[in-house]
Amino acid sequence: MWLVTLRDLQWRRWRVLIGVVAAGLVFAITLLLTGMSSSFHNEVGRTVGAFRADGWLVPGRTSGPFTSVRAFPESVVDDVARGEGVREASPVVITASTVDVSGVTSVNVIGVESGVIDADVVDGRGVRRSGEVVADGSLGAHLGDRFELGDGRIEVVGTVDGLTYFAGTPTLFVSVGDAQALTSAGQPVATAAVVRGELASPPRGFKVLTNAEVEADLARPLRKATQTIDFMKVLLWLVAAGIVGSMVYLSVLERTRDFAVLKATGAANRALLGGLVLQAVVLAGAASLVAEVLALALGPALAMRAEISGFTLVTLPLVAVAVSLLASAVGLRRTVSTDPALAFS
Amino acid sequence: MTRSGVDLEVRELTIEYTSGGYVVRPIQGLGLEAARGEIVLLLGASGCGKTTLLSVLAAILTPTAGRVRFDDIDVTGLRGATLTRYRRHTVGVVFQAFNLVPSLTARENVQVPMGTAGLSGRPARQRAESLLAEVGLATRARHRPGDLSGGEQQRVAIARALANDPPLVLADESTAHLDYIQVDGVLRLLRQIADAGRLVVVATHDDRMLPLADRVVNLTPRRDTESRPPETVTLDDGDLLFDQGDTGELVYVVDRGAIDIVRRQGDGSEELLTTVVEGGYFGELAPTFGLRRSATARAAASSTVTGYTVRDFRDRVRPGTLADAVTDQGL
Repeated sequence: MWLVTLRDLQWRRWRVLIGVVAAGLVFAITLLLTGMSSSFHNEVGRTVGAFRADGWLVPGRTSGPFTSVRAFPESVVDDVARGEGVREASPVVITASTVDVSGVTSVNVIGVESGVIDADVVDGRGVRRSGEVVADGSLGAHLGDRFELGDGRIEVVGTVDGLTYFAGTPTLFVSVGDAQALTSAGQPVATAAVVRGELASPPRGFKVLTNAEVEADLARPLRKATQTIDFMKVLLWLVAAGIVGSMVYLSVLERTRDFAVLKATGAANRALLGGLVLQAVVLAGAASLVAEVLALALGPALAMRAEISGFTLVTLPLVAVAVSLLASAVGLRRTVSTDPALAFS
Repeated sequence: MTRSGVDLEVRELTIEYTSGGYVVRPIQGLGLEAARGEIVLLLGASGCGKTTLLSVLAAILTPTAGRVRFDDIDVTGLRGATLTRYRRHTVGVVFQAFNLVPSLTARENVQVPMGTAGLSGRPARQRAESLLAEVGLATRARHRPGDLSGGEQQRVAIARALANDPPLVLADESTAHLDYIQVDGVLRLLRQIADAGRLVVVATHDDRMLPLADRVVNLTPRRDTESRPPETVTLDDGDLLFDQGDTGELVYVVDRGAIDIVRRQGDGSEELLTTVVEGGYFGELAPTFGLRRSATARAAASSTVTGYTVRDFRDRVRPGTLADAVTDQGL
């Protein structure tokens, strides 16, 4: 019966090709959306993790250091650094701005002390002094590039990869002083403090957040976008499954007499079903392959980062086959109910 | 061969099914015996039940009553694995429209039934090629049905029917769609198949095949063209005169009372078509055209009717043309 199935696929090769490409495109979009959704999740983890903090000191009424900026005197950080159980505390100044690098681009600006994010620099070095910036690669700036930030001009001395937040918005790491100049006319303030060690009790009016709490807070603004993407993914799965399912069903409709003849000559239902299952598996598998090639080819061309993991690439064909088999159930059922007497009609 | 050289035995076979919402009984009380090496011709017009009977012999359709035995197999009682085994190994079918799988080559079409019966790979290929050579298609084995003529497709269908060397071969209208040269080839093949020790049952409306047959079963109801004395029948209220699906030989005139003409539906209910009263007549189509009764006639009151042959009816009761009979209400 495998022979019948494979020959039928050859026989209807143009339809199969169109169906595979169509389903492959839909699967590819699903993969890219999955990659974008993963990117939203991963960028948050990477950015928060880059500070290697044990805790984040923020004013008591703010929900997190990245989402609700509220300045406080930098001297508070010095007090905290001297606190019991604290090994190190450094001020962080977080704000948002725009820069003109091949066009005006929104950026996240974070003022950090020297050495804080050096471990994540992939090219060049970390920020040592005022007028220097370490930029995320997604900004498109290169080592030695200069551009204006606020009233000053800064030079790219290093780049990092994947340190973005708010849906791929690139982050610029500058000196604390440059960030203060941008946000508070140079006043010695901070918007948060990165704490290493364990702060027994935060100063009055402040609280300490864990990394997990900061990540949850940073992910919140994109929650609706992520939910929408997840919903779109479900719809796309249905469309792809519908394409494969309808191809199998159409094949069953056209081959009803063939199935009747095969039954009349002693073919068992399970053999016929096996052939159709194979057909659905081949279609879904081929569509998955097309999707993976397309997604990997198109992903880098997207303005937003799509992070498609190896696990996703391995899982897609399996899920695609399972969903396609479900979608083919109507065709399979019709095959079982085909009356062999049709062979005589 | 079993009892008295009889391999196929059909006893009191009645087949009834629902079509278009009403009950059709193409075959009633059929009996048949045949042996291997014979060709049995099921002869009759369209709709007389030839293909239906083949379906029963192929264990695809279960009859309403009666039994079919081939060798020691009770064909009408087959279920599950024994049914599948019968279809794979005991019976081969040549379908009317060839019914070859269009995506497969001629050889692959012949190979498929072997695969379902457990023979695959090189042995199956070799046997398929050998069978195609036997039917004269050795050089056409790699062609798809669409590239073959009607006669060639029919021969591939015959080779497929022989794939698992069945002792019983059924052929449905095997000369339909073929020109006379192709018909000649198919007739020779059928004879060869029977001579090799198989029982071949052929359903056809083509009486040119009669010389080929060892036995002929005429499934068209007999048309009584001879004159014979009228039959007077007295019926009490509710008595049945004839049933839907019966063969019909007489046209009836109502002398007294009334006769309901009803049609049995698939759901078991009855539809009253008309009531024929004194002086009216009914039942002329079945004997005129050799059809079965398309409705039931039952007395609506204590009645007397007289039955005439078609010839007598026209000569004595209602002279007219055939067209009159068709346009009148007739059964």
